[in-house]
Amino acid sequence: MARRKATTEASVSHGAISDDEVEEGAIAREIYESSEDDEVEVDGQADQEEGQEPATPSKTPGRKRRIAARKKSPTPPRDLPPHEQYFYQNKPGLTKTSNNTLSSLDLLTHDEYFSILRQLKDPHAPDVKFLESLHAESFPQWAFELSQGFSTCLYGYGSKRRLLHNFATHLSSQSPDRKIAIINGYVRTLTTRDILTTLTSALPAPLSSTSGGGSANPSATPQAFLAHLSSTNTPLTVLINSIDAPPLRKPALQSLLSHLAAHPQVRLACTADSPDFPLLWDAGLRASFNFLFHDCTTFAPFAACELEVVDEVHELLGRKARRVGGKEGVAFVLRSLPENARALFRLLVGEVLVAMEEQGDNSSGGEEVAVEYRMVYNKAVEEFICSSEMAFRTLLKEFHDHQIITSHKDSIGTELLSLPFRKEELESILEELVS
Amino acid sequence: MAENEFRRAAFIFNSAPGDIPGQNATAARPAKRRKLAKSDVPRPQDGSAIESAFPPLFNGAESPEAVKLRKELFDTAWPVLEGRIQHVLRDANQTTLDEVTAFLQQAAGEDTGKITAGFIITGPNIASQDLLFEQLAERVCAATQARFVRLRASEAPNLKAALKKIIRDATAKGVDQEEEEGGVELTQGGRKYLDYDLESLHVFLNQQQQARRVVVAFQDSEAFESGLLTDLITLFHSWRGRIHFDVLFGVATSVELFQARLLKSTARQLHGAQFDVVQANSVLESVVKSAVAGSHAALRIGPSLLRSLVERQQEQVAGIQAFISSLKYAYMCHFYANPLSVLLAGDGRLDREALQPEHIEAVRTLESFKTQAEAAIEARQLNHAQSLIEDDDYLVTQVLEQGQKRQEYLQQLLRSLHLVLSTGLSPTPFTELYTLALSSGISIDQASGTIPLEDAVKRLGPEEFSSLIGRLLGAVQYGSPELGLEGWETDAEELAGSLTDLRDEVEGLIERSKANGTALKSKYSAQSRVMRTTVVAQKVQLSQDTATLTEEDKAFTQAVDALLALLSQALHCDPVDNFFLHEAWVFDFKSPYRDVFVPRPGATFGRALSRPHDYLACACCAKANGGMASTLPTTAILYHLYLERGALINVADLWSAYYALVGDESDVGLDERSALACFYRGLAELRMMGFVKQSKKKADHIAKLKWL
Repeated sequence: MARRKATTEASVSHGAISDDEVEEGAIAREIYESSEDDEVEVDGQADQEEGQEPATPSKTPGRKRRIAARKKSPTPPRDLPPHEQYFYQNKPGLTKTSNNTLSSLDLLTHDEYFSILRQLKDPHAPDVKFLESLHAESFPQWAFELSQGFSTCLYGYGSKRRLLHNFATHLSSQSPDRKIAIINGYVRTLTTRDILTTLTSALPAPLSSTSGGGSANPSATPQAFLAHLSSTNTPLTVLINSIDAPPLRKPALQSLLSHLAAHPQVRLACTADSPDFPLLWDAGLRASFNFLFHDCTTFAPFAACELEVVDEVHELLGRKARRVGGKEGVAFVLRSLPENARALFRLLVGEVLVAMEEQGDNSSGGEEVAVEYRMVYNKAVEEFICSSEMAFRTLLKEFHDHQIITSHKDSIGTELLSLPFRKEELESILEELVS
Repeated sequence: MAENEFRRAAFIFNSAPGDIPGQNATAARPAKRRKLAKSDVPRPQDGSAIESAFPPLFNGAESPEAVKLRKELFDTAWPVLEGRIQHVLRDANQTTLDEVTAFLQQAAGEDTGKITAGFIITGPNIASQDLLFEQLAERVCAATQARFVRLRASEAPNLKAALKKIIRDATAKGVDQEEEEGGVELTQGGRKYLDYDLESLHVFLNQQQQARRVVVAFQDSEAFESGLLTDLITLFHSWRGRIHFDVLFGVATSVELFQARLLKSTARQLHGAQFDVVQANSVLESVVKSAVAGSHAALRIGPSLLRSLVERQQEQVAGIQAFISSLKYAYMCHFYANPLSVLLAGDGRLDREALQPEHIEAVRTLESFKTQAEAAIEARQLNHAQSLIEDDDYLVTQVLEQGQKRQEYLQQLLRSLHLVLSTGLSPTPFTELYTLALSSGISIDQASGTIPLEDAVKRLGPEEFSSLIGRLLGAVQYGSPELGLEGWETDAEELAGSLTDLRDEVEGLIERSKANGTALKSKYSAQSRVMRTTVVAQKVQLSQDTATLTEEDKAFTQAVDALLALLSQALHCDPVDNFFLHEAWVFDFKSPYRDVFVPRPGATFGRALSRPHDYLACACCAKANGGMASTLPTTAILYHLYLERGALINVADLWSAYYALVGDESDVGLDERSALACFYRGLAELRMMGFVKQSKKKADHIAKLKWL
């Protein structure tokens, strides 16, 4: 209590200081830098005190920092409580980042990334392994919890795919007859249909399969599947990797999973990779999941199938190049296509560049700039690239398949085409195509 | 092979014997320790691995018999309780169900030209509504032969989806009964109905030749768009001639608020009544009474855990289901991880042989054993103390005796509580009384007692006095079925006798004072009239008036004192902590409960990333101690850098800061491309965990997303 009071006092005084700080940013920065070392030490001590009760990792690092606030150093951003820090850092005019860019750096390609990764040795590998073995100790406990009608949710930093896999092995060694279905949430193409078909395949075929038409197919709807499940009496264990991965975030899917979990024949265990995963469920879903949560921080690296590192980073940096790998990829794709496809792509690039010019300098990428489908088609016919809309569609489909164009409809239903590249990239692609 | 499986979206697991991860797991298993309290090393039982058998405790030294006994104890203890809880929950809704069904039946007879609507005030917790509507569906289907459709807002985002769901659910139940008709009923004259056409439902109901009634229940009516509700109600109204629709609304707030959301013209089409559901608090109270405090509960939930469970119910909208799950988890923890839980076994199942040397050793380490031994020394029973510590056989007999003593203690506790409740003098709710009694015992002393009833008893008037005694006698005679407590008249003959005598005496006194024309009062109740103010010659005089007590009054005062003495004797109980071996049958640990039900993922991730050493226990990062070090895992380094940045982060700067730490010139000495690969991985992981997102404000910048 006393500490809390102290921090509020501290943050009030920081508030007073912080106005000056806006003007004297540079000075403050210097002081901040010089006092940083001391502060780390103070943090360390505070942490040591907390560290004596390892059972409750209850204090967030943000809170620990507050202890250092007693020093009243002129470095408000570090000592503020999280919400104050949010407002402080989001003050208009306070974004003081340098203008450096990564342009001088040669970004990694998929191939290079993987070849480097194969040679890299993680110094923590034995520790990670040991940690994993510690978690494996809990397998009988989790199995017991599952058998009592709870679902378990394993969360924490690091990949838990291997852990869950080992858990599956443990479960099947305990009772070999039990069917175990594994759902990989991180697979981007995962759909409800995939889940239902897989789960259905774990069950014996319906007895009265002759009577039903389309509606009797158990994998058609969740309701049909659940009804089928109840009729077979087969116990089923469902293990879900990354229940908070984007493909599984849809409310419909989560409610399907919760219905599954609530079914008496189903035992469900899942892993969650992001700290915000509890937001997926409202009280109703949470009650039907009946979760027990376990801290399973593994520090294990994510495998290539779980996390597409290079794509993720490039997307983060605004260089959209999923799969094809930038302009080299486009050139590669185009080389394998017939002449008229190349001509069409040249036309498309030209049109998009013109549209960009018209829209003014918007360097953030070509995604927002789009051209009308109809207009492109007309031009393509004029230039004898194709003679029918059918042929035009076929060409576009080829581009779609290689993900070098995207299309969408605007609010009044006009179909629009756009290219997922930056302006500079488009220019160099055009150069290559023309030459 | 295995790698391929990971790329597939979903598959059926089958473990080949040569599976590499499987081997790893078995090879790595025996060497490690478990996290839970005293338990260690679950050794796989050779061959006969029974599903969900408990692992042996005491470092694996626990005998299979003891393990089996624990499992059996759990298997018998919990289902009894679960049954009682379900019973309580179902009973709680009973009156509401009766009312709603009666209302619907009555409405079926009349033709008001309006749609019958029941508004069920369910309270804010949507998790507990499920049971209610499930029961409603059962009851209404049975009682009125109607089709029952439950709608939830998330399942019915628009009119079309809502209609589809209604038609599907209303017809689906018929398919169950007569599967053959499944495909036929949807077509007529070769034309197939659209799946949101109510005509198909009409045709279906005609074929079924039942009452053409459909009850549509909107479970969370607040979550529905008001436009959608209006449309649906209007539609139902216009179909009224062909299909008889009744609607039920689950209302979390109030009917007035709900009505305000509807158009007036729509509201006019409804003809409704309001029903209240038993409030969550009183449901909780009865669950606690029957399942936690009641004599059927094998395991006692300790006072501090119970208090935090109840607090969670009141402060967060956790729902009664969460409370029951927590209870169950406490049982699971106790029998799974506490080797002494075998001591709960009833007579005959627990004997000298079942107790291993480890059990006796464990008993000697208990806190309550120490207290017991120290108490014996204080009381100069040195022989007793010495035998406790040295003589195993002596200790075992003591331990085996405790079972009986525990029963007696619990009986005394429950009887006292029941008596306190039946006096009706204590305003404290039962749950609180119970936790109080467990943690600090029962005593009705005014100054120091936990349940200060003394003043309340003294202030009783004569009529209240005799009715109080009547209630107490009733309590002794009939016990409390809710608490699983039978009447204990035979045990309390003395108490009952004295109470009856007192009542007879007081009734006699009342008669006599009536005859005398005076009101009967005691010394204590008379005191309120002691101060007299009189105005004499424009001066206020305060006079102390020693109330003149008649003979009857004095006798009544004596009776009150006698009752008080009786009560303080009868209402008495020690705190549970004083009880020898209470560790074997009281579970009072908050930590597994809190970790498992109310996780703090933000803090967990933050701790892992800021202090990896806590998890990895590696030699290289020990020095960092929560600070920055170049040996930390990449993502942890980036997380530290991330915390220092503002709302907008320049990736180029982040990269150069990172490279300066781990690059060629540092201790780690990564070359640029390798460092970049690590950097990529760290950044991608930060993004996946939702710490950063793309920013379009500046080139090569990312935006911070987390401030916690």
